[in-house]
Amino acid sequence: MEVTVIGGYLGAGKTTLVNHLLSQATEVIAVLINDFGEINIDDKLVDSVDENTITLTNGCICCSLADGYSKALDDVAKRNPRPTRLVIEASGVADPAAVAAYGHAPGMALNAVAVVADGVNLIEQLADPLVGQTVRSQLAAADLILLNKQDLVSETETLRAELEKFNGDALMVECIHSQIDLDLLFGSEVNKAPKAFGVTGEYESRSHTSMQPIPRDALVELIELLPTQVQRAKGIVRVAEDPHIPMVFQLVGRRWELRALADRKNAPEGNQLVVIGPKGTVPPDWDRTLNAED
Amino acid sequence: MIPLSSGSSSQTATLAEEVEMCKLFAARVSLGNSPRGPSEPGRECLGSLPCRLIQRLCSRVDARTIKLVSMTDAPTQIFTAKKVHTMDPNEPFATAVAVQGDRIVGVGHRDDFLHFPQAEVDERFGEKVLLPGFVEAHSHVMSGALWEFPYVGFYERTDPKGQVWSGCQDVDSVLQRLTQCDQEMVDPDQTLVAWGLDPIFLQGERLVAKHLDQVSTKRPIFVFHASGHLATVNSEMMRQSGIDQHTPTPGVAKDDSGTPNGELQEPAAMSLARDGLATIGIAMMSSEAKWNYALEARNCGVTTAADLGTTRLAMEGQLEAWRQTTDHPEYPIRVVVAFGHFDSDGTPANIRDMAAKAAHLREHEESEKLRFGIVKLVLDGSIQGFTARISHPHYLDPPPGHPGNGLWLIPPEQMPDIVSAYHQAGLTVHCHCNGDEAAQVFIDAVDAALQTHPREDHRHTVQHCQLTTEQQYKKMSQLGMNANIFANHIFYWGDQHATITVGRQRAEKMDGCATAEREGVKFSIHSDAPITPMGQLHTVWCAVNRLTASGDILGPDERIGIHKALQACTIDAAHQLLMDNEIGSLENGKLADFTVLDNDPYEVEPEELKNIQVWGTVVGGVPFQAGSE
Ligand SMILES: [Zn+2]
Ligand SMILES: [Zn+2]
Repeated sequence: MEVTVIGGYLGAGKTTLVNHLLSQATEVIAVLINDFGEINIDDKLVDSVDENTITLTNGCICCSLADGYSKALDDVAKRNPRPTRLVIEASGVADPAAVAAYGHAPGMALNAVAVVADGVNLIEQLADPLVGQTVRSQLAAADLILLNKQDLVSETETLRAELEKFNGDALMVECIHSQIDLDLLFGSEVNKAPKAFGVTGEYESRSHTSMQPIPRDALVELIELLPTQVQRAKGIVRVAEDPHIPMVFQLVGRRWELRALADRKNAPEGNQLVVIGPKGTVPPDWDRTLNAED
Repeated sequence: MIPLSSGSSSQTATLAEEVEMCKLFAARVSLGNSPRGPSEPGRECLGSLPCRLIQRLCSRVDARTIKLVSMTDAPTQIFTAKKVHTMDPNEPFATAVAVQGDRIVGVGHRDDFLHFPQAEVDERFGEKVLLPGFVEAHSHVMSGALWEFPYVGFYERTDPKGQVWSGCQDVDSVLQRLTQCDQEMVDPDQTLVAWGLDPIFLQGERLVAKHLDQVSTKRPIFVFHASGHLATVNSEMMRQSGIDQHTPTPGVAKDDSGTPNGELQEPAAMSLARDGLATIGIAMMSSEAKWNYALEARNCGVTTAADLGTTRLAMEGQLEAWRQTTDHPEYPIRVVVAFGHFDSDGTPANIRDMAAKAAHLREHEESEKLRFGIVKLVLDGSIQGFTARISHPHYLDPPPGHPGNGLWLIPPEQMPDIVSAYHQAGLTVHCHCNGDEAAQVFIDAVDAALQTHPREDHRHTVQHCQLTTEQQYKKMSQLGMNANIFANHIFYWGDQHATITVGRQRAEKMDGCATAEREGVKFSIHSDAPITPMGQLHTVWCAVNRLTASGDILGPDERIGIHKALQACTIDAAHQLLMDNEIGSLENGKLADFTVLDNDPYEVEPEELKNIQVWGTVVGGVPFQAGSE
């Protein structure tokens, strides 16, 4: 199960993002939230509601964090059908990095920390003597920053420049009403049947599958050769240096990492990678360094 | 004082008697009302005829005439003592207390009460000193849960059964204790959980998995640290939990070769260990924890304790569990279970909903030994953990990578709405504020709530108040707020505060009881057990002496006198728990709750206060001896 953490200060648009992804989901997503109060799903989509869980007709569920993370994670893992994705909405003052630590529990794999920034109030929040540090720490922990409320913002460049100061590596996506391309958020397609080329909205994705373990150097070279506009890539690979351990490869923004997969039992064979970039930016031979070794 | 009691009720009441009866009722009516908010007309009982009569008559009565209490024909127990400190300023001393049922019917001297119905003199406390039962206004039932597991902390502690656990002063003594526990456990597969480890104090190499492996390589071991932020486990625990060099969870500490060393930092990493934290969590909800909590309180002379926001009252079965336990005639304390403001998204509708739940508990679920009406908020972290919100210049010497200031656990801009919702519901808000910046946010929120909804006698309380400033106390005084000061910190962490967290200048003003007193803020002092061991005499000793663990006097100007410190643990603690109408001083009509001491705290040297032996308590007229099963 892949874990995505949604952070961001009060009023930034976290819950709007949760509502958006629950209504757009094409797979079974579980969402852990602090409170049901603001969850606002079309009534037609709601299948059933009990004290700690809202079940939607598309199979997605929304679970309360009332009894703590461990209990909620346990409950979700036991569900049938097992959700493929878990999204945790951190509270408005929580450090999303601390929440993301739960994304490494057995059977889980951390996808990304997405932090929603309130485009309208961000500059003021960052300067606030009481909450400035909280907002800054949250944004610094992000792999992906949603620069929200673009419809109300004129000074986007100032905002970007401000964010660059303490998190130059994150992938920044401008949006309105937290509407983000879910493929970009989830770096998805990896677990679906591989497609040679797919276009989703303003983004396109290309994938790679192979069986031979990949030398670490080839991966590093791959990243170096990717066009700068491509800021999202992920997959599961076998690295030639230690081929028995399935590794998660993640690139968000300008930051990438390779780490052991926690859910080793359910790991697919071989290597599966996908890259996502704005339309027309992903070259067809983006994975040439990998194929050379085959 | 001699209560004017009329044993024979058949007499026709004279006008004088009628007036006196009305005084009695008036006392009760005002007692019944005083701590509750005006938003609760049902409690004011102004509708019934006798009460209206009383109101009319009251104006004719001098309130300072002799107090009356309604007596019945039930047997009277006269407890004699070497000395009774009543905390009633009108009658500060006595040598006997007369009790009918669970109530005090006379405070004075033995001979005053011999003519009472079926009077029986109980001289077991004849050589002891009685005080109003101590009130611990900030502790946690978790303190009782932990005693289900062996203790491996640095300081000596006494368990609820009265057994003294010596401090484990080095790694070897920790291992020795664990080995002994391992051998005593019947089930070879059961996880050995221990608690209280504090590596700061242990000399030499840091305790890690390889040390715990000397205790057992077959049984999983989970040692929970005193800070609550860390745990150390053995190799078998790591094996069973799948913790290895590939575990990516942050907080799984690894050695230079990348192998986990057994230290798990913060909840996400700790929760990887099977049956560790979860076992403690389950223990917290057990009835044994509730009993242990009460026995520990009894052993240090506490008769009323506040479980300040540990119990998730919304969780199924927890209210019933508390009721069942406290209804037991042998349960030796009254418990105020605070309603924790957990898991709220802060929307006005949600907060109003929570406030309604909390108000319902107070109005419909209280019983003799189970009380509600307090709401607990937690606004910032701790000073020793560098997570409290402290104003400029913030921390003196924080660890590398520290962001500069502490954490908010509630967004500050939500505080006005939250406080206002509970305030309007007639509840009393107790807010954890270790740092002064947090205290300011809470004080401002109370100020705002009072602007829009004026309410007398709300008793909103700043909890911990560790860096609360003189200006803040002034404001709190104006607003009618209370304080509960973490006096124990001076002893346990005072040295660290002076050298690492905030520096000597600010540390000398920390937990400033004298400032609170000077500014006229009613305050209590607390242990926050299990953070520090419960023990009101120790807490009083801290407030009076301000001695640190190294023997330094930290901030002599903030020391307070013994009488003020004892008020803080009795009548003023009762006040902030809304129970001063029933407990906190020994007066007619109040509950017969006493602390029984071997020596008089007013007569021993101030440094000796913590060494006074506690015989035990009397709760509702029933004696409970410390250390008994
Ligand atoms: Zn606290
Ligand atoms: Zn506490």
